Amino acid sequence: MYKALDHFDFDHRLMYVRNIFIFSLLFLIAGLVYFQLVKADEYVELASRNRLRMIRLPSPRGNIYDASGVPLAVNVRTFEIRAYPMDIRRDEDYESTAGLFARHGIPMTSADLKERLEKQYVAPYRAISVIGNLTLAQVSDLVMDDEFSRRLFPSPVWRRIYPAEALAAHVVGHVGEITQKELEDQRDLYYQAGDIIGKNGVESMYEEQLRGTVGEQVVEVDSRGRRLRNVNYNDPQKGADLRLTLDLAAQREALRLMEGKKGVIVAMDVNDGSVKVLMSVPTFDPNPLTWGISARAWSALNDDPDKPMMNRATGGVYPPGSVFKVVTAAALLMEKTVDARTDVFCPGYFRVGTPARTFRCWRRSGHGRETIRSALRDSCDVFFYQNGVKLGIDKLIEWGHDFGVGEPTGVDITGEVSGTIAGRDWKRRNLKESWYQGDTVNYAIGQGYLLMTPLQLVRVYAAFANGGKLVVPRFNSAKKPEWKDVKVSKANMDIIRQGIRDAAANGTARAASGFGAEVAGKTGTAQNSHGEDHAWFVGYAPAANPKYVVAALVEGGGSGGSVAGPLVGRMLSYLLEHDK
Amino acid sequence: MLLPELGYSWGEIRAGLDRVMVALVCALFALGIISIYSAGKGVRSSTVVFVVRQLVWGGVSAAVYVVILRVGYRNFVRLSFWLYAATFLCLIILDVRGIASKGAVRWFQFGNINFQPSELGKVSLILFMSRFCSRRPPENVKNLAAALAICGASVFMILLQPDLGSALVYIAIIFAILAVAGTPVKYLAWLALVGLCALPVLWKGMRAYQRLRLIVFLDPYIDPQGAGYNVIQSRIAVGSGGLWGKGFLQGTQGRLHFLPAPHTDFIFSVFAEEFGFIGGIIVITLFACLFWRILRGAFRTKDTRAKLLCIGVVAWLWFQLMESIAMSMGLAPITGLPMPLFSYGGSSLLMVVIALALAQSVAISPVRENFAHI
Repeated sequence: MYKALDHFDFDHRLMYVRNIFIFSLLFLIAGLVYFQLVKADEYVELASRNRLRMIRLPSPRGNIYDASGVPLAVNVRTFEIRAYPMDIRRDEDYESTAGLFARHGIPMTSADLKERLEKQYVAPYRAISVIGNLTLAQVSDLVMDDEFSRRLFPSPVWRRIYPAEALAAHVVGHVGEITQKELEDQRDLYYQAGDIIGKNGVESMYEEQLRGTVGEQVVEVDSRGRRLRNVNYNDPQKGADLRLTLDLAAQREALRLMEGKKGVIVAMDVNDGSVKVLMSVPTFDPNPLTWGISARAWSALNDDPDKPMMNRATGGVYPPGSVFKVVTAAALLMEKTVDARTDVFCPGYFRVGTPARTFRCWRRSGHGRETIRSALRDSCDVFFYQNGVKLGIDKLIEWGHDFGVGEPTGVDITGEVSGTIAGRDWKRRNLKESWYQGDTVNYAIGQGYLLMTPLQLVRVYAAFANGGKLVVPRFNSAKKPEWKDVKVSKANMDIIRQGIRDAAANGTARAASGFGAEVAGKTGTAQNSHGEDHAWFVGYAPAANPKYVVAALVEGGGSGGSVAGPLVGRMLSYLLEHDK
Repeated sequence: MLLPELGYSWGEIRAGLDRVMVALVCALFALGIISIYSAGKGVRSSTVVFVVRQLVWGGVSAAVYVVILRVGYRNFVRLSFWLYAATFLCLIILDVRGIASKGAVRWFQFGNINFQPSELGKVSLILFMSRFCSRRPPENVKNLAAALAICGASVFMILLQPDLGSALVYIAIIFAILAVAGTPVKYLAWLALVGLCALPVLWKGMRAYQRLRLIVFLDPYIDPQGAGYNVIQSRIAVGSGGLWGKGFLQGTQGRLHFLPAPHTDFIFSVFAEEFGFIGGIIVITLFACLFWRILRGAFRTKDTRAKLLCIGVVAWLWFQLMESIAMSMGLAPITGLPMPLFSYGGSSLLMVVIALALAQSVAISPVRENFAHI
């Protein structure tokens, strides 16, 4: 049963509330009386004319410079003529406008013009581009014409150009017209259809800083759409400039070194993470992309099997191969699986598991007795096989994470991938198999389910070079250096540094020596199931007091030492020479 | 779960049906269809898709209307605690998803159909409040606080989405039901005062676009190209309609695409431009009659719950009507609330029709001689 409020008269209240509701509708009627009866003439007039026109004045983006001030992205002023669909909609409008252009040497038929305008149509008061890409001379020529209609509005357009063309394409990125999806996803309602926005690289990462503030011009026009006066004018504000850490001259050198090859060279300052070189080859010229590219050229660029648009340094993942051995070595030493004196006899193979599987050392005849230092020098696989199994996969993966494997480096360009450092769980989930010791063996020498980006490896080697700081790579020179410490002791770090120094001096990595710089480094060969193996080399110099770290990866380059080693040697020598 | 004895037989429905209310609803829906048709007939792009879909939804809604009459409002009131709990759970899930995706998430998607829990929530809130407030009349602070806490929770969840418009509808419903259910006038005044004081907090919590809408409401000329332009253009549409309107399919503002979202948010602007002051008065009068008929049922029943239910339904329709017409004249900020029975949109139409069916069910109830509260 429900309790009823016997002393309370619901209907009384109900009547009150009903009357409030019904009488409040008079407010709406009053509004209608005011707008539709009192002010009707004024609004009829406004509707018939709709006299205000808005023009959005795009702001020039901030320039982007390389480390020494060479421009990488700048704006040039071009002009465009805009109009409102509500003004230009009859056939004679199309004809007279096209005729005007034709008289001044701009080929355009009225049919072309009509098609062009209809394609851009959004709303009658939204300006659309009648013709773009004009020079100042062309515009002044057109405006001087007596028949230049006042319904046409010339306005400046900033065209983004990349003077370095293909040299810095992957770092700087490019801009383009905003897509429908980007419009819907925007957080601060800044953009409108037709606006230019950074699509990738630095252009996208620092969009808010680079874009500036758009201006707006409000003009009043007469009933025939001709301009009467300016109602309001807000200047567009130029975006902030950006100076990168990238060295364009060194980029050029890297491109020269990579001639005829596919792959990537990355160079970074070991101490503050500033990236000096990021040359991903093949590369592409971003200029056509910003200005509208034909569908055919776009699909050619996109479907190219060599993937020129992919930034291989941050977006390409590869098995690291033997270059990963420094991480394994750090894990072995820190977990006390081995110490500096532990030695292992390498007969040229290693057998493990039941039934036994044989894993070969790269040197079939074996290395004999190896300590960790000489194993790094000789890149002895058996040493790492045997001790890797002893260490166990979980510890190895734990140390991999400590060195940032399997996570983005945090570099300030877009499109970075994480790579994978997949362990037992992953294998059980994805392959429905349990973990074998053979898997651990592969991991110990950087093969198996391990995939890394070249930039991740650069970062790992920088940590060895600078004594334990895992720096965040950066391109913006104004960005503060950041890092986290890896948990490797100084003594153990020194053992590994010695090992890779020996490797470059008289071991497997000596191909990187002899170009001037005293290198410490490591070769690697990444097995590639699709064809020839990829050649790796990662090293830093000067070995005693490291300044730069360089990684080179040559896709399909075969074994690491002979192909990639000289690239790193030359790149390091170049950087040190030009450092003064 | 459903008790057949709480529903109505066909005979009872025939005997008790408020035919005037049905006619009013049909007339308003028909005017809405005309407006949606007109809104779709632009100069550059013309589509009847919206009309066709709205008619399909109208058919679905009619079927649901009949089913609800058969089941009877008492069954729904009886299940209202569960309904309210279920919609509240939906709101929580949406909010968690919204936080995860860092954006406004207001609906669940089932194939082509978007289900918006905040719409269903209006119905379940009315049912819940009707039951709760007749069981525990908000005559004392304890009962009032309990009602406010339970209903305030879902208002809060909706503000989190963020969906300010729906939250305001909820508040209107809650306030109206509390007022009729016997809350002392003193408390009502306090509630209104607290509401006013909460406005600055609300402002703080708003997203950029919501603030922009409020700013351009105060001065549309600040941003004539963006949101403010919409307000100006809508006002021009309404004002230029004049006394008689420009005639069916003759509205220039709508047809030249000056109006944004003409078939949803600005549907009244399209209507008022073509049918003028006379048309506007007709629509407002039809709604006034509809409210009157719904509340006629409330006066005739002896069931407190039914009285509260009716005032809740009226409060909901009233608020959305006020908001969308005032917005079209630039007299209220843009909230994106649909105009009941007019705006294109299946789920909001369906929910309004469900609410109207519940009100109709109340109107039928006096045919029963036996008023036993079960």
